[in-house]
Amino acid sequence: MSDQPLKIMVIDDENIVGKRLKPALEKTGDIVETFEEGEKALARFAEDPFDIVVTDIRMEKIDGIEILEQILALSGRTKVIIITGYATVEIAREALSKGAFDFIAKPFKPSDLRAIIERASKELRP
Amino acid sequence: MSIFIISSDAREIEENIAKKVAEAMGYKLLNRDILATVAANYQIDTDKLSEAMKTTPSLFKKLPSRQWRYYLACIEADVLEKLMADNIVCQGLAAHLYVTDVSHAMKVRVLSGNRQGIQTVAEKRGISLQRAEKWLASELLQRKKWSLTAYNYDETDLTRYDLVINLDQIDPAEAVKTITGAAEYRKFQVMTYSMKCLSDLALAAKVNGALLKSMADIRVQARDGSVVVLTRASSRQKRKKIETIKALAGGVEGVSYVEVHVKKNILKETN
Repeated sequence: MSDQPLKIMVIDDENIVGKRLKPALEKTGDIVETFEEGEKALARFAEDPFDIVVTDIRMEKIDGIEILEQILALSGRTKVIIITGYATVEIAREALSKGAFDFIAKPFKPSDLRAIIERASKELRP
Repeated sequence: MSIFIISSDAREIEENIAKKVAEAMGYKLLNRDILATVAANYQIDTDKLSEAMKTTPSLFKKLPSRQWRYYLACIEADVLEKLMADNIVCQGLAAHLYVTDVSHAMKVRVLSGNRQGIQTVAEKRGISLQRAEKWLASELLQRKKWSLTAYNYDETDLTRYDLVINLDQIDPAEAVKTITGAAEYRKFQVMTYSMKCLSDLALAAKVNGALLKSMADIRVQARDGSVVVLTRASSRQKRKKIETIKALAGGVEGVSYVEVHVKKNILKETN
């Protein structure tokens, strides 16, 4: 596996999520940017794609499923991980069928997300 | 894709389709062969477990309700534990009734149809077509009653399945191809959330089994090792019941916290 740090984008309208995840994910040397608004995150992604995007589903202006679709349209190699406090079988299946790499229900431990990111990085750098 | 749960209104057809799907996918087949192991694990007679899968308790039967529920809980706990492994075809263990909210478990209902079902049953049982038709109708009624009593879930309600196949329109070989083809849908693949749902269900089932051995009227929910037990007790018994539940549930591997919610048992209160 390459030693290059991963570029990770975290999108969640609850700023506490980004605040908690950023230091936890940066511990392994990866570069993490957090966003509370989907539009700003998408604009940033369009300028400079990320390896991994972690996004909430329920957000005010643009939801996580739409973000997932737009991200994958911009960069097919990016791994999108969906996080939500309103997980259901239907939403989970929709996310996966639209190309999400994984789906995890809130609350979760940062180490749970870290494990998913490690799997994603193995696929990004086989 | 990792779990197919196959059920049908005709047991013979269910067994046949499940076996062929397992062969085609190279998956392990989980069926009533495990009852002997469950019986050994819980020190129960295998015949009693088999009987519990077929009948509902009543005052006239030798299988009291509490024992029946305990037997079902033992089977459920064992099945859920085994489903934690990947790539399994499950049949004949009522998993379609208790594996709920697990997105990587595809629930398939195979409808035997008039022509195919009656013919298969008549051949397998060596009976006339007329008798086979009657047998199938009574079996369907019995299964409906059983599923409602055991899990409060009507197994003949087709809206609860992910895939429904009618063998009057699609022959068994095509049905197997349809089912295995659906395995390619991403939505049925394992994800962190679905594995967590399954492990929570498995833990709740283990706790349920541990509690139902010595008490009735129990409902268990689990999440990340924390367990909530709902039960009934009279005011006099409440404290003792909470202590017993906490001790029993706390002793189950994987349980880190137990919360007990007790509702008043009005019948015992008035006595």
